[in-house]
Amino acid sequence: MAASRRRFVTQKIVFAVLTVFAVITFNFFLFRVLPGDPAVGGMRDPRLSPERVEALRQRFGVDDPVFLNFEGGNVFESQYFAYLGALSNGDLGTSYAFRDQQVTTLLTHALVNTLWLVVPAQIISIVLGVGLGLIAAYRRGTRVDVSALTFSLIMWSLPTFFLGIILLFLGTTWFDLPAAGRVTIGAQYTDVWDQIGDIVSHMILPTATLSLVLLGEYMLIMRSSVVEVLGEDYILTARAVGIRRPSILRRHAFRNAMLPIVTLIALNLGFTVSGAIQVETVFSWPGLGHLTVDAVNQRDFPVLQGAFLLLALSVVIANLIVELIYGYLDPRVKEA
Amino acid sequence: MRQFFRHRLGVIGIAMLLLAIVVAIFAPWIAPYDPYANVTITIDDIYQPPSAAHWLGTDDGAKDVFSALLYGARVSLVVGFAGALISVLVGGTIGIIAGYRGGWVGHGLMRFTDFFLVLPDLALLIVLVAIVGQSLRNIILVIGLLGWTTTARLIRSQTLSVRERKYVIRAKAAGAGDWYTLRRHVIPQVLPLALANTVLVVSLAIIAESTLAFLGLGDPLLISWGQMLNLGFTRGAVGAGAWWAMFPPGLAIVWVVLSVTLIGNALEDILNPKLGRHHLEPEVPVETPPPDVPVSADVLFQVRDLSVGFEVSSGVVTAVEDVSFEVPRGKVLGLVGESGGGKTTTALGALRLLPPNGRVLGGEVLLDGTDLTRLEEGALRELRWNRVSIIFQGAMNALNPVRTVGSQIVEAIRTHDESIGQKTALDRAGELLELVGMPKRRIESYPHELSGGMRQRSMIALALACGPDLVIADEPTTALDVMTQAQILDLLERLQEELSLAMVIVTHDLGIVNEACHDVAVMYGGKIVEKGPVARVFTDPQHPYTRLLLEAFPSLDHPGRRLASIPGAPPLLTAMPTGCRFAPRCPSAFERCREEEPHLYATSSGVAACFLADPIVVAGARND
Repeated sequence: MAASRRRFVTQKIVFAVLTVFAVITFNFFLFRVLPGDPAVGGMRDPRLSPERVEALRQRFGVDDPVFLNFEGGNVFESQYFAYLGALSNGDLGTSYAFRDQQVTTLLTHALVNTLWLVVPAQIISIVLGVGLGLIAAYRRGTRVDVSALTFSLIMWSLPTFFLGIILLFLGTTWFDLPAAGRVTIGAQYTDVWDQIGDIVSHMILPTATLSLVLLGEYMLIMRSSVVEVLGEDYILTARAVGIRRPSILRRHAFRNAMLPIVTLIALNLGFTVSGAIQVETVFSWPGLGHLTVDAVNQRDFPVLQGAFLLLALSVVIANLIVELIYGYLDPRVKEA
Repeated sequence: MRQFFRHRLGVIGIAMLLLAIVVAIFAPWIAPYDPYANVTITIDDIYQPPSAAHWLGTDDGAKDVFSALLYGARVSLVVGFAGALISVLVGGTIGIIAGYRGGWVGHGLMRFTDFFLVLPDLALLIVLVAIVGQSLRNIILVIGLLGWTTTARLIRSQTLSVRERKYVIRAKAAGAGDWYTLRRHVIPQVLPLALANTVLVVSLAIIAESTLAFLGLGDPLLISWGQMLNLGFTRGAVGAGAWWAMFPPGLAIVWVVLSVTLIGNALEDILNPKLGRHHLEPEVPVETPPPDVPVSADVLFQVRDLSVGFEVSSGVVTAVEDVSFEVPRGKVLGLVGESGGGKTTTALGALRLLPPNGRVLGGEVLLDGTDLTRLEEGALRELRWNRVSIIFQGAMNALNPVRTVGSQIVEAIRTHDESIGQKTALDRAGELLELVGMPKRRIESYPHELSGGMRQRSMIALALACGPDLVIADEPTTALDVMTQAQILDLLERLQEELSLAMVIVTHDLGIVNEACHDVAVMYGGKIVEKGPVARVFTDPQHPYTRLLLEAFPSLDHPGRRLASIPGAPPLLTAMPTGCRFAPRCPSAFERCREEEPHLYATSSGVAACFLADPIVVAGARND
């Protein structure tokens, strides 16, 4: 069993590495081949002297072959391999908009802020979504179930950014919560509790928005997963054995219903990223999503390219982690 | 009722969408102001609250919000439908090719799709629009070309299942070309599902467009709802408290997405109706008081006039009608007949283990005098497994796949006797496995690690965990190979004798009845048509159905005899023939059989529901 387990893990890691490589390559060509080459775009600035443009062209290697060098010399002397080389050193270039700022530094700061938003929202929505979905499924057809379904339907129809705006209106007018940022700028804290209070008050609205959106999704998935599991033969067996309903739910339905949930949480990570982009924009949360939108508006392509790469890689890696967890939850996977 | 409700929501969705379409088309005629016109304004005109002149107030440019709202419907709907069209065409083509061709082409296409599924869609959308430029055409193209993945996956799996259907295989075997097969057989089957999916893609495209516009990536020359929100948000509507500049466009997006989603749900419900019910829904005991009929002491299990029905959309159909039989202590009854005759429904109904839409309509089920149909759930639960257990057919799904066999047996033991410790219970589980001829160490195995025979043995061990008096075995050997069937049957016979169990064996296999049962009840169309001791019923069958079943069964006693299958099929629950239910297939049927339903008449070998049965001339021997 250990051997097949190892094979399963190896297989998943190999696939993830291949995907990472594909993402990097895709990311490179996305920004080089499509119209509006970022390097060229940045050099169209009329204020630049021809000499300066030439220097920049040299520096960015715009005139080098894109993929492979067939013009003699080293085959790998191309923009693509230069990019891979720089990437392996953690070098994603320099921002156009924030002069002298390394893209890597900008991204690291933003990533930390995004995690502060996404991790609590994920935990809240998974716990609540799984719990409420379980109850809705168990009480299928009752008022609890209908309310849960209605809530999910509304959350599905409500664009995340609009939900954010609604909460922003309500939170700032009724509860006097801060509208933007991660902390009050220039605030003088009397003690550590004061500081924590400030951070938490900034977190409430964005976290609530993201949690609500994700909650609707998870609840719906959990509900249908539990309804399906509760229709299985082994649930009938458990009933025939005379096990109490709550115990059947806990010992037989829960774990089996969690299996598709785990996969779907992984598949939904892209959805989480979309949510974070919108929430960060509405609440001026200085995270990756905010940075991405800023970079787009300022046509700051090195930052945009780096941010997109980081977002895509996070999803791939999170996917891998979830699949490995799945392997532990379902004994059948080891055989596959 | 439920279905009607769902479809009513679908109708509401269509009405909501039609309103939006009408508004979009006639916006220039309905709108009180032209939002594209240039007007000279003063600072006082900005963010004016709703008034008679401006129903929804004015925005940051002193434009009429209501007029802009009407015009905004155009962009949303155009992008939603045009984008979805592209997505569905691309995704549908990829899905059909991947599903129909299979092989490395299909595999490659799916890997390609998986790769796009991994990429965070909104981030990619933003990047692409930023690169190609934010015109309406580009936005439609980008949204359309990024939204194909879900369609491709769905269409592929649907195509795969259609490809395996008999008529498609037959068409291809008959030399039909790929294109012909696709056009005539595959696409018509895939299309309905594609339609429901299209609706979903439309809602995703509308949300994508509004999100892009809100992030400042919409077509700057066009008024759209997302853009109205963007302008309000970036130009101080929140600070000014100008909710009228923000809420109407947001709610308009919700309106359209909701309408499309409602339509999609209703379509999905009609095309792919799911019962969506489960085994833990509350069930109620029968409430009418039981008749007071004495039971003889040596009868352990008695079923009297049991009727079972199923709720379907058109009402309740009766699947089992007035079934009666009894099982004395230590004896075995075979419940036999073709599939669809109501054998399993009788067994499950008697133990109140029916599917959620099933219901006991009447009758009594007496176990040692206790009526199971009228028992409170708590009392019933205590009785279950302690007194009566059931061996399900196809043990693969009857055992929980993510728990070991041992833990499931331990759970049964400890559910009914909490004083038994975990360790003792585990030892007992090991002994039970040895009793059914499995090595003790198999308590640590998961069901999928066992062979079919071993799984059935584990199921039997589980059924014996609490030492029941009565075991009901529902098709215990079905889906096993012939050798294993014989072994399982031997095991059941041995255990029945050793533990002097009373048993009901539900089967379509007359050989099992002949070998393992004392009595037999033959079921057809939800009723018992003949009943009696096996030795007599099988040598002198009184009902034509029993006779035909026996003739259809290979016998070692008469190896030279020709096997005859019974022509026709059992009746549908919804279309029971009047008169004798077997008459349409019966070789001996005559006029009366089609008009009048025969009772169970006492015969030389038991009882039989046939006008032609040999009656024994005893006064009042009618048994019904």
